[in-house]
Amino acid sequence: MAVEALFDISEPGQARAKEACKGRAVGIDLGTTNSLVAAVQAGQPVCLRGPEAGASVVPSVVHYAADGHVVVGQTARDDLAPRFAQDTIASVKRFMGRGPQDAEATRRLTPYQFAPAAGEPSLVRFVVAGGSRLVTPVEVSAEILRVLKARAEADLGGELDGVVITVPAYFDDGQRQATRDAGRLAGLDVLRLLNEPTAAALAYGLDKQAEGTFAVFDLGGGTFDVSILKLARGVFEVKATGGDSALGGDDFDRLIAGHLLQAMGLPDDGGGDRFLVRRVLDAARAAKEALTEAPDIAVVVERPGGGTWRGQLDRAQMEALVRPVLDRCVRPVRRALADAGVAAADLTGVILVGGATRMPLVREFVSTLFGREPLHDIDPDEVVALGAAIQADILAGGSGRDDVVLLDVVPLSLGLEMMGGVAEKLIHRNTTVPCGATQTFTTYADRQTGFDLHVVQGERELVADCRSLARFKLTGIPPMAAGMARLEVTFLVDADGLLRVSAREQTTGKETAIEVKPSYGLTDDEVERMLLDSFAHAEDDVKLRSLTEQRVEAERILAALRAAMVDAPELLADADRQAVAAAVRVLETARAGTDHLAIRAAIEGLDAASKDFATKRLDRALDVGLRGQGVRAVEARVDESATAKGTTAGVKRSHAGHEHG
Amino acid sequence: MSMICWSCEKNAGEGLLCVGCGAIQPPFAGVDHFAVLGVERRFDLDLAVVEARYKDQARILHPDRYARADARARRASLQRAVQLNEAWRTVKDPVKRGEYLLSLWGGTAQVAVAPGLLMEVMELREALAEAQAAADHGRVAALAMDVRGLEARALGAVAAGFSRGLAAADDIARALAAVRYYQRFAEEVAVHEEAHAGAAVVHGG
Repeated sequence: MAVEALFDISEPGQARAKEACKGRAVGIDLGTTNSLVAAVQAGQPVCLRGPEAGASVVPSVVHYAADGHVVVGQTARDDLAPRFAQDTIASVKRFMGRGPQDAEATRRLTPYQFAPAAGEPSLVRFVVAGGSRLVTPVEVSAEILRVLKARAEADLGGELDGVVITVPAYFDDGQRQATRDAGRLAGLDVLRLLNEPTAAALAYGLDKQAEGTFAVFDLGGGTFDVSILKLARGVFEVKATGGDSALGGDDFDRLIAGHLLQAMGLPDDGGGDRFLVRRVLDAARAAKEALTEAPDIAVVVERPGGGTWRGQLDRAQMEALVRPVLDRCVRPVRRALADAGVAAADLTGVILVGGATRMPLVREFVSTLFGREPLHDIDPDEVVALGAAIQADILAGGSGRDDVVLLDVVPLSLGLEMMGGVAEKLIHRNTTVPCGATQTFTTYADRQTGFDLHVVQGERELVADCRSLARFKLTGIPPMAAGMARLEVTFLVDADGLLRVSAREQTTGKETAIEVKPSYGLTDDEVERMLLDSFAHAEDDVKLRSLTEQRVEAERILAALRAAMVDAPELLADADRQAVAAAVRVLETARAGTDHLAIRAAIEGLDAASKDFATKRLDRALDVGLRGQGVRAVEARVDESATAKGTTAGVKRSHAGHEHG
Repeated sequence: MSMICWSCEKNAGEGLLCVGCGAIQPPFAGVDHFAVLGVERRFDLDLAVVEARYKDQARILHPDRYARADARARRASLQRAVQLNEAWRTVKDPVKRGEYLLSLWGGTAQVAVAPGLLMEVMELREALAEAQAAADHGRVAALAMDVRGLEARALGAVAAGFSRGLAAADDIARALAAVRYYQRFAEEVAVHEEAHAGAAVVHGG
């Protein structure tokens, strides 16, 4: 029976049946602007900060260098994005599970270069690494996940045995699939996709012992979600959810950036100057953040072709700019309340989530909208990751929290295309997951021998207005009169909110079942290929890194030697002079090549040839030191060089953490 | 209706979990929604009690409990959860519950709609269209209130019909049809309000 096939659970995990190791399941908030990883430790969820105990957030910015390096996080955002605008991808979440056409709005003011659409269905692909590489949003997200994975493994001291990744509640099936694919690509065992507002409610509910009906207002960098939840006796029941998966703080930045460009007397799309766009977007983001505290600020932007532009921006101006975008939150909120069957006045509280809710304007807006002051006791940047960590802990079975259960919903109705392009809904929005539905259809034409099934998601009546999720065929039905065949179609939505579809022609027993792969998603083959690619790249990357390191080391030694020869030529014995010169030539030749082992060997050769010279220099330095400056100064100098070396090593280490494998 | 447990291969009993080893068991086919929830098969139910039953079960069989379990346990949990959610979705909604009960009785909710009802609904729709065209929000709200009253009365008729039993099946079906018409009317009002209201109205109602 086809329906049975839907329940087939194929593994990555007889392995899962293994004894759950406690404490190494983590929650990941894969955000538009920032990403975080958190784990439950000693019964409390905490954000992991890595061995350096730095910030909890990792900026969701990925830089692809021309030499193959991948750098993720703050360095990518602050140092590399301004210089390599096209090779440094920020806000990739907005492109997840989207086709090139969908992303049009986001592309209007963007520093990226997109590969021309190829094939059908076509994917968004960024041209990066100086034009040498094409990457999909899934691959870019996987880089961010790898960094979080490395951070968690370093902090928890071992391999992770499962993760929960959060997604906006309003993400459709394609966006969810893409997120799961990114997790797989990063080598993670994704135990569950969890809706962000639900995660936040979980963190609040368990921490504050809250009971009642809550609204979660989640305005992040690129997505807006509103969920209405009922919290009672450990049951977190989502009554309704709504939102806009392309509305967030990023849009504020773009509006402010457009204003700045106009004020600079430039076209408000930046006129195709990627570096200008990146600079202005960064200035806009900085201005927005500064205006959270200050009533007005000075804005300085480097003009194209030199010179700087200086201007002023006050909070009222900024608020007037972003207000129209914020107003788009009203309708989803009203609809979610109506769907949940509650009035704003009946709510126990409103929880704020997402970086954009730090803005005074947004808080004021939420207060007006719900007629009450919102709660923000838990850091709105961290609350989602903390909730995801709790869920991961529960799923891994280490929590002992048998009383907690999450009842989440399908955010958007799921249906099939009927004759005439009308969408027939099989599962309605806000249905509790997991859920299923079966409906019987018949043939339209005489002697019709197949069915074309087109799975769509959305609230609109016409298929053209809904999102296309998948198309598949059921063929080989014997010719019958129209209306005679009986096609039974079953939808199943699992606890991740992912859809599977099966179809069975009842008179013949012919059947087919598919796991819905979104039209803009990746097939299993593509994910496999990317996995293989990333392994291949991993080796390349290691080689590239070694090469870069050896080249840097060669530079350093050659420079030091040159300086020493100028400083104390008399210490270099004539007998050694020729050998040193020869070793320098060998090293210079090797450095120009691409074999890091050859460079290493040449460095060692030069070391040997100049050993005597170096010893004499050290003796003299110690002499000078003992006579003139005292030991302390010599030690200090030695320390200095040691520190400099240590720093280099430190940079390498953190790079290593950000790379494949 | 006892089954052999997939895990310990002994008699599993009739419950959700095997009486011997505690492993979650796949659902039985052909069990009605009331039985799934463990409540009496009737229209007139205390929904608070049913909801508590639903949540107690959800806590035990939710797939989150079995994220780490054997594939067969995960499959059983998924099937059970789908079955339970569908049962609650049907039983908590009076129209769905009524239609479902009728179908269990072997009856059908598909009956000819009373001509009086059609006339009434057409008049209400005209009044709504006029009020909306005139942007008379007070009138729209008053109409919505009237229809809510009619809906409540029709639901009363459904409940009364069920208390009379199978003989009242046609009356029940007609009353259910009326409820559906009134609900559709209310939805249209809501869509209109959604399209025309601003931020300020949200916390007003």
